[in-house]
Amino acid sequence: MMMANVQSEQYQKLTQELRRGILVLAALSQLKEEKYGYALISSLAEKGLDIEQGTLYPLLRRLEDQGLLVSEWNVEGSRPRRYYVLSESGRNTLQDLAGDWRQLTGVMELLLAANANGGE
Amino acid sequence: MNLIDRYIQEVGRYIPRRKRGDILAELRSLLVDTLEDRFGQAPSETQIEDLLKEFGRPRDVAASYYPQSQYLVGPTLYPLFRMVAWIVVAAVLGAQAIAWGIGMFVAGETFSTLEMIASLVNSVPVSLGWLLITFMVLQYFDAKPHLEEDPWDPQKLPEINPEQDLKRWEVITGLVFGILALVLVTFFPQWIGFITTPGGKFYPNPIILDYLVLIKIALTAGIGLNLFLLWRGRWALTTRLLRIGLDIYDVFVLALLVIGHNEWLTARSAGGFLDAIEAIEGIADGGWELVGMQAFRLAFAVALIVTVIEILTSIYRLIKSRLRSDFSAKNAVLKVE
Repeated sequence: MMMANVQSEQYQKLTQELRRGILVLAALSQLKEEKYGYALISSLAEKGLDIEQGTLYPLLRRLEDQGLLVSEWNVEGSRPRRYYVLSESGRNTLQDLAGDWRQLTGVMELLLAANANGGE
Repeated sequence: MNLIDRYIQEVGRYIPRRKRGDILAELRSLLVDTLEDRFGQAPSETQIEDLLKEFGRPRDVAASYYPQSQYLVGPTLYPLFRMVAWIVVAAVLGAQAIAWGIGMFVAGETFSTLEMIASLVNSVPVSLGWLLITFMVLQYFDAKPHLEEDPWDPQKLPEINPEQDLKRWEVITGLVFGILALVLVTFFPQWIGFITTPGGKFYPNPIILDYLVLIKIALTAGIGLNLFLLWRGRWALTTRLLRIGLDIYDVFVLALLVIGHNEWLTARSAGGFLDAIEAIEGIADGGWELVGMQAFRLAFAVALIVTVIEILTSIYRLIKSRLRSDFSAKNAVLKVE
């Protein structure tokens, strides 16, 4: 029953929604120093967060349009690559979002703990 | 890497022109980085194919940059829609100005400001409305989910073929003149004709009025094809065949117009060009009318010859393009063997 639930399409959608919410914070957290797309994907994967290429690039562009990231092409390596890094506004936003995240995880831990203990 | 080039080309078809170069360069960089990381410097064709399958259909990759749902005209089509909308507005205003100009200075008619505004209030929204409907249809068919689509196979991506490159400005020019002509024949057909001297008598062309429906069909089909070409961004077999088909139809309409003018002129004993010149001296006013109709006949005859040349050129390009793709296909087979 549990396995069927895990495999269900609905569960996958819920997981996707949950992950989608944290992608912005995850990406911002890794861009204090400049990185190109694939390096960012690898960096996130190493730490246990797999992200599809088709999701990351549009996200990076959106964050750049919002002024949170700046990017430039670097042609010095073996091939041209676009490097992204936090802007001033991005650094401030990361700080604020990280604070919110910590507060949220604290609340969620409490909620889930209460749930596990059969509380209200 | 040919498969990567073909994939990038295909994704580019669905990305707005303004950001296309940048997005495609980044996509290429990502694909090559991933390949290098997984398979080293020289990945095999099968490894590239597997990676492209993993990345997904070109249309879906492009859509991830610009989500298409919930739009009448989505972000991919919008830049083209905006450009064509400006062309339509300019064409309607231009045609309206020409019609008022002819009406006031040639036929001596007077138009009140209210009449002019009322006319614009009618023609501009009607033209834009039709344009919007056309793009909504394009959007609908593009965004429609392909539930029974074949499995995504990178080997079926179109070859890179310079013969299929579109001369964008040629298509835009065709579109501008097509829309201008369609607005003229739709809203002001009575003002298609000629005058002898400024302020002189205006002669509407009776033959054009006879074939108005056929002309409108030719112009609408031509505009439709040019819009489709701008949307697709390059030639394909179907569009080349369509162009040839439309050109053949144009030749048919132009031939009818030339024959119509010929019959009209012969009935007035002015079938030959010199007859009309002689007639000017004999009948001062009517002679000029014959010269005007001769000029129209000449213009349509030239257009007919140009269109026939265009048909032959299109057939030549089509054959060349086919031979080239056959050659590449044979080469690919040889390499595999």
